[in-house]
Amino acid sequence: MAKQPAATPTSPATGLGTDDSFRLLVESVKDYAIIMLDPEGRVASWNAGAERIKGYRPDEIVGKHFSCFYPAEAVARGVPEQELRAAAKEGRFEDEGWRVRKDGKQFWANAILSALRDKDGTLRGFAKVTRDLSERKQAEEQIQQQAREIMELSTPVMQVWQGVVVAPLIGSLDSQRTQQFMERLLNRIVETNSPLALVDIMGVPTIDTQTAQHLIETISAVRLLGAQVVLTGVRPAIAQTLVHLGIDLSGILTRSSLAAGLRVALDMLSLEVVAKNGKP
Amino acid sequence: MNAASHGEFRIGSESDIVAARKVVRNAATALGFGITDVTRIVTAASELTRNIYHYARSGVMRWRAISRDARLGLELTFEDSGPGIPDVAKAMEAGFTTSKGLGLGLPGAKRLMDEMTVRSQVGKGTTVEVRKWLRK
Amino acid sequence: MATENISVIKLRNLLLVTVPPDPDDQTVSALQEQVLQAMAQHECRGLVLDISTVETLDSFFARTIAETVQMVGLMGGRTVLAGMRASVAVTATQLGLTMGKALTALDVDRALDLLDSAPSGDGV
Repeated sequence: MAKQPAATPTSPATGLGTDDSFRLLVESVKDYAIIMLDPEGRVASWNAGAERIKGYRPDEIVGKHFSCFYPAEAVARGVPEQELRAAAKEGRFEDEGWRVRKDGKQFWANAILSALRDKDGTLRGFAKVTRDLSERKQAEEQIQQQAREIMELSTPVMQVWQGVVVAPLIGSLDSQRTQQFMERLLNRIVETNSPLALVDIMGVPTIDTQTAQHLIETISAVRLLGAQVVLTGVRPAIAQTLVHLGIDLSGILTRSSLAAGLRVALDMLSLEVVAKNGKP
Repeated sequence: MNAASHGEFRIGSESDIVAARKVVRNAATALGFGITDVTRIVTAASELTRNIYHYARSGVMRWRAISRDARLGLELTFEDSGPGIPDVAKAMEAGFTTSKGLGLGLPGAKRLMDEMTVRSQVGKGTTVEVRKWLRK
Repeated sequence: MATENISVIKLRNLLLVTVPPDPDDQTVSALQEQVLQAMAQHECRGLVLDISTVETLDSFFARTIAETVQMVGLMGGRTVLAGMRASVAVTATQLGLTMGKALTALDVDRALDLLDSAPSGDGV
């Protein structure tokens, strides 16, 4: 983080950026936008980093109010003024948020606003140091996207044969994952017209209250569709949790293993075939 | 934020309940909500619009696209000058039953949406604001 | 807004009702009326409510269905809700809605099979 120019003992506290060698340092830094604002928030000085990050040339921006760097809805909410007030009160204000370049493109920035005061405490203006975090944000979003994809891959809903879908759940189930699973399961049931869904939780070590509720919700939702869930592979720890939570399991068909569940499916289908065609 | 992404709809008759659903369905779909979230939002809107019609006879529903921390969302506001709710906290817990009597749609709408605020004054009216955010 | 016409078809001694995509409250109430009249007129042993095009199922609709199921039960019939959409099922479950003692089926075909195989008139 760059030093705030007026806070250093070598630069006179009266003017802004009047120390020549320090000015050269600040002006040349390209990775950070280091600018000065007057007490009202208008741009008083500009450096190479600011030109690179925000897109304005000095002659285009000096004198303009710094709220032009904020998105319209932030300006409407009075965010720039709030930040100035906070910096004036506390000495500094730091935040991460969206900023707008000259070409209108938005970028994710880390910005520190510092109040500049002279010896008697009079507010002379503000120093603003801004860093473009777009790359880091992109990397974060990519990780989130990958996490979502992994979540989908690891909770597949497969049609094994006509009328039966199987969903082996593996790993810990959190609320979000369970909700997404529920939607996917229901959609597959409708798409494949399967009256039976085998949900195997042998690979799920524990579940918390909220996830247990979502699991029960999933089973209820499947019933509303006109299908049935057979829950298989309920481990002792999970059986305990479900019973302790007082969850009513009376309407839920369960089997100890996926294999046993598949036998239920076979039975159910055989019955259906016999009833329709009279053939064994 | 788009300029045209807000609107207002007056509620004054029973048929306005389904009309309000259509308005909300269009708005939510246009914003990019998936079918399940659209269904949640429309259902919540149906409950709250019905509340206005049955308790206050008339009112207004406003909708607008909102954004916070780069996430887009939809905000619906339901306002009426009806009798008001004496005990909002109690209304929020009210058992949601399918037996006779309306049962306030507030707890239901709260479950379906991400955020909800209720302001009400007995004799003056009620304002309910609900928000749903696009999933990341 | 005029009440939409609900089609009530008699199939063997069952009733098949196709519910429109977004019925208003009046239509939903009229549906209940028509069903009960048809039940009485034809002494049907079952009702299939095709909700495969229904996009929104709110508390009013759910309540009316639950009532209808009860009334049909008292008249000696069983009700099957057929073809609920996935998004509607998710929302209804989240809302905590129940449709009373209605049976459910993935589509009308299966609903008819269900009523053929199930014992009728247990007054539920």
